[in-house]
Amino acid sequence: MASKELDTSFSELLVTEGSDSVGQSNKLEGQGSNDDAQITCFTEDLHDVTFHFQIIKLTKQIYVWIGCNTAKFGHLYAAAITRPNKTVAVTPVLGGTSDNTGSGIARRLVLKTGLNIIVACNIPKDSPTLEVTAERKLFEKLKSLGYIKPRPEGLPVRSAHN
Amino acid sequence: MYSSQPTRFPVTHKSVSLDIKGNKTDIVICKYDDKFLVIVTQIGCMGTILHARKEGSVSTEPTFSVSVIFGKRDEPWLLACGRQLIEHISCSGSSRPLVLSLGLKDHSPETLKELTVAVIENCLW
Repeated sequence: MASKELDTSFSELLVTEGSDSVGQSNKLEGQGSNDDAQITCFTEDLHDVTFHFQIIKLTKQIYVWIGCNTAKFGHLYAAAITRPNKTVAVTPVLGGTSDNTGSGIARRLVLKTGLNIIVACNIPKDSPTLEVTAERKLFEKLKSLGYIKPRPEGLPVRSAHN
Repeated sequence: MYSSQPTRFPVTHKSVSLDIKGNKTDIVICKYDDKFLVIVTQIGCMGTILHARKEGSVSTEPTFSVSVIFGKRDEPWLLACGRQLIEHISCSGSSRPLVLSLGLKDHSPETLKELTVAVIENCLW
């Protein structure tokens, strides 16, 4: 009867369980069905410095502007993961060739999020503390907006066929 | 769609979404202290980035310089679009340079003309 055939094929299905459950992906594709550009602006007032952040989320890329006390545009960097090694490539796009403030932020953002990132940043050079603070605040916000999925620490991504 | 900013945030922005030749096009315009940023995308990312600025002194006719700083360098209509916009910015009385990003599915003159008109209609200068 048909039910016996169904039982047989169902048990065959169980053999392949786990082939797609290799851990959480940190990709954002399919995160939301909203295709419009999503813009988030916020300001963080710290004791001696004010950071302004502007995040524009496009479908396949995120643009971030970080303003340190002023609303100057600053230097512009583009960063992305390169194939096949999955290393991060960063390039200055506007300004920033002799002053790399912002390129480290772009690079670490890509490392942690796996997204294509464009960063504009006017943090003065030789201010590592400011960079770190700004990066931390930005990160917290990206997480709270759901643009970064938490990746299970130490979980290698590998095929289930081992 | 028009979005307004609380007065405290120092960067003004405006975003619109429209259809150009069947392609959904998002336009975001931002005004910084020293630059304008215009993002036009049909492909979900910024695409080609151009820099356009006014040169020349106050007493002479302004000249403009437009260059691609990231992406496609063989699409002259993109440069033409940047040129139109920087001249419009200049005629509106501002000397701020423009960072223009164009992530387009089609680079036809009709598309570029339509999006130039749309940007000018929603400009912040």
